[in-house]
Amino acid sequence: MLRASMEAHRWELHLEAIADPTLDSGVPGGTTLLAFVDVTVGRAGPVEPIRRSVADAFGPIGLVRAAAVTANFEMMNRIADGTGMPVPRSSIESGRAIIDVLGLERLAARHGH
Amino acid sequence: MPFDHHELAALPDIVAALRREWERLAAPGTWWSGAERVAIAAEARLARGVEAATPTDLPLGAREAARVLSSAPHSTGPGWVRSLLDAGLDHERYVELIGVVARLAAVDRLTTALGAGHEPLPEPRPGEPSRIPAEGTRLGRAWVPMPQGRSIVVALDHVPAETEAMKDLHGSLYLTIEEMADPLIAKGLGRPQMELIASRVSLLNQCFY
Repeated sequence: MLRASMEAHRWELHLEAIADPTLDSGVPGGTTLLAFVDVTVGRAGPVEPIRRSVADAFGPIGLVRAAAVTANFEMMNRIADGTGMPVPRSSIESGRAIIDVLGLERLAARHGH
Repeated sequence: MPFDHHELAALPDIVAALRREWERLAAPGTWWSGAERVAIAAEARLARGVEAATPTDLPLGAREAARVLSSAPHSTGPGWVRSLLDAGLDHERYVELIGVVARLAAVDRLTTALGAGHEPLPEPRPGEPSRIPAEGTRLGRAWVPMPQGRSIVVALDHVPAETEAMKDLHGSLYLTIEEMADPLIAKGLGRPQMELIASRVSLLNQCFY
């Protein structure tokens, strides 16, 4: 979905930034959003400064939306990992480049690939 | 109270969804009572160091499932799910438990990310679970019965009320299933920003899906 939405905006995606948030993803404001996720999910530092940065970049509603999207994927990750939702083989093949760039081979193996 | 946090007030649709979730959590579900659902939530928070330990009548398998799904979901696997079933948990109760713990994780992440802390768990409501079995689900490649399909939207269909609850929160926090088809949609953030967040959360959680 990230690739498709970037293509729809005609923006160039640098996938490596998902694994290394110090890199530029190509998503406007992306570095700030990645830092927000790292602090809130990954406990990578104090929350208040990054919350202010997100609010400065995206406004108060953007901050709540960033927290809400983060929250949604905390939910979806647990549903996927609890149910063992199969990943279609076609998705694995079409996403091979992403798997390689992000080092996901070990995670793919959990789903039988 | 976290649901009344000033930053959330700007998005009343999200506040309403959080309150609906708390109502659902407290009410009897399909296979667990309201007291059991709240006890599952307490166990899930205990695993994250949020709630203090309280006496519980939950079966050991349910306590184990709530703890792991809450604090270390990446460590699950088919053998782990089989061990829960061997311990007496059935697929129906396990799937409902996944839904309860997963949505609690979302609610807690939202409020803590905004600096609002944790909403106190609701008082359980009396009543019996509906015990309405699902139709059209079967055990295949997944670890729980589900319909044939390739979308995670069906993952909890073995307990349809849990699918509906997931869709309710998903639509408020992120996008409705219909909105997901639009790569140009913007809701406070543009779609690329939303998807970048989603990708990084999933990577940190070591979730391949």
